[in-house]
Amino acid sequence: MNKLSELAKYLVDLKDQEFIELVKKRLDDGDDPMEMIQECNTGMVEVGMRFERGEYYISELIMSSEILKKAMVYLEPLMGDLKKGPSKGTVVIGTVKDDIHDIGKNIAATLIKGSGYEVVDLGVDVPAETFVEAVKKTRAKVLGLSALLNLTFPSMKAVVDALKEAGIRDQVTVIIGGAPCNEEVRQSVGADHFALDATKGVKICQQVYGK
Amino acid sequence: MNEEIRKTYDERLARYQAAIALEIPDRIPISSGSNYFAEIYAGNNKQQFLYNSNQWLESDRKFINDFPEVDNLRSGRFWGPLIDATGWNLYKLPGRELSPHVQFQFVEGERMKSDEYDLLINNPDEFIIERVLPRAFNEMKERGSVRAYMAFLKGGIGAAMQGALMRQRGMTLQTELGMPLPMAGYMLAPFDNLADGLRGLNGIMVDIFKQPDKVMEACDAIIPHIVNTALALADPLRRYPIFMPLHRGNVPFLSPKQFETFYWPSFKKAMNMLIDAGYTIRAYLEGDWGPNWHHFREMPKGKIICDIDVQGDIFKAKEDLKGYQCIAGGMPESTLILGTPDQVRERTKLLCETVGQDGGYIINGGCSIPYDTKPENYRAMIDAVLEYGRYKDSIDFEPQINPNPPEGWKPLPKGMVTPWQVKRDELGEIKGDENLIRIGWETLEHMAFNWLWAWIW
Repeated sequence: MNKLSELAKYLVDLKDQEFIELVKKRLDDGDDPMEMIQECNTGMVEVGMRFERGEYYISELIMSSEILKKAMVYLEPLMGDLKKGPSKGTVVIGTVKDDIHDIGKNIAATLIKGSGYEVVDLGVDVPAETFVEAVKKTRAKVLGLSALLNLTFPSMKAVVDALKEAGIRDQVTVIIGGAPCNEEVRQSVGADHFALDATKGVKICQQVYGK
Repeated sequence: MNEEIRKTYDERLARYQAAIALEIPDRIPISSGSNYFAEIYAGNNKQQFLYNSNQWLESDRKFINDFPEVDNLRSGRFWGPLIDATGWNLYKLPGRELSPHVQFQFVEGERMKSDEYDLLINNPDEFIIERVLPRAFNEMKERGSVRAYMAFLKGGIGAAMQGALMRQRGMTLQTELGMPLPMAGYMLAPFDNLADGLRGLNGIMVDIFKQPDKVMEACDAIIPHIVNTALALADPLRRYPIFMPLHRGNVPFLSPKQFETFYWPSFKKAMNMLIDAGYTIRAYLEGDWGPNWHHFREMPKGKIICDIDVQGDIFKAKEDLKGYQCIAGGMPESTLILGTPDQVRERTKLLCETVGQDGGYIINGGCSIPYDTKPENYRAMIDAVLEYGRYKDSIDFEPQINPNPPEGWKPLPKGMVTPWQVKRDELGEIKGDENLIRIGWETLEHMAFNWLWAWIW
């Protein structure tokens, strides 16, 4: 584990009061908010790693992002036009058509973002053509299709087919993720990978874009 | 009921009950509480099924005719008109916000605020009426308005209509089709009541860190209320298990330690109260319960069906629960939807030869049979059970039908918002038979109480 700053450590240890106090204090001291956000990002990466190692659960993931949200209330207005840090690449993600569940998708988006990728989150119940447009526009090399319901297999397949039709299937690695996904489903919809949890999704992003 | 139908009914019921009791029936029972496939098999789309209650029995008839080997048929579900009457906003419905071909889906929301725990704990019924229902019923947005009164009225009438429909359906299934139900009545784990209908997922997850004691206290506080409702809606003859869909007790939502702290203690208490009243339970262990299901060994043996979801390992479940509780599941939903009859047959054979050994097993998908199941795959599963899932030639287990609770059982006081004594004092001198007045008062009061508690999941 990289050495965490005090701020990041409070976040990782879910010490919300100490965390917010420190954010306020450092702002009063004139610290760079961008620097603090980067420290928070490092903290979120560590939270993600603990989730991957089975030390943290969704409970801790939610708690840490709720704590971070509170800090962003103070930090965001001060960020101004500061450019975001360099991105390792773009990932388009969304819950497929006819499914409105977003818990898994949000966890995946948070962890992928935390690992340094730009995430374009299209939301829930996303039609195939919206995925295709987003992939075209962002030139993303990874597309994540999320689902909780097993009636979405045709929706996932529709996205892969639409990518083919648009002639961009080869440019993008398609990952299907969520409870009903397995090898049988992956083959049937024509995706490249399936992921049962968000950390597997991060690993695939790393393979595609190189660490 | 003609003799042949009665015999069929008894056999199916005995087969199901024997598996639950860890006895050996003649073959592995085929039972799903949520047989989504059966709902639409007769050709309805999902909206038609949800809204048109006239089609329920028709669908059931067709399904039972074509698959007479199943041992019981799907449980009841939502009735669209009742949901619209109150504007209950916990679900999006097919044909309304969703395409008619899509299933109903839960909507996360915060219907109880983080600082309202004491209100819930001190007076749960009042809290549901005052705080939760106005947030859960879109028709009640304007408190005290004509429309809000109408919503309550329609909600009550609608629930009574649905209750009558379901009773009628149960009777027809039994007497005309010889078909028992997989479950009757329902209850959530107390933690899931908080996590689903009250605080929402984000809220509850923050609360277990920020106000852990309040979460535990609230779980305990609602037990008598939800048990009251579960018993009121359960089968009076104690033939069928009470349904418990379990949502957030799995990994990775909670750590096993958090499960033991926040989820299990009140859940165990509530289950024991149902079992003490002479009931069995059908628990849907949604998601992966592998790290937690060993806790069911603490419960009285042979009282709970644990439905194992696709994320859970059915083989490990058998290992961990063998001799303690019956398990159900094992047929991957993706195989039912995408696979071939040969693949289904192979899988069924494997299940029969492994987890099916020594009883205590019911074949099912992961808590349900999916809507998009290919009929030929469902047929293949049944045929393979008949071929590989046989234990012996006949059933020597008597169907259990018990109108009376176990001896020594102390019933909970019936849930009421305004007990008879309050009303009695208001009436002053009663000139005739007080009992006649009391019984009517209490019956309706208790029904209304149960109605209140039906809306928080």
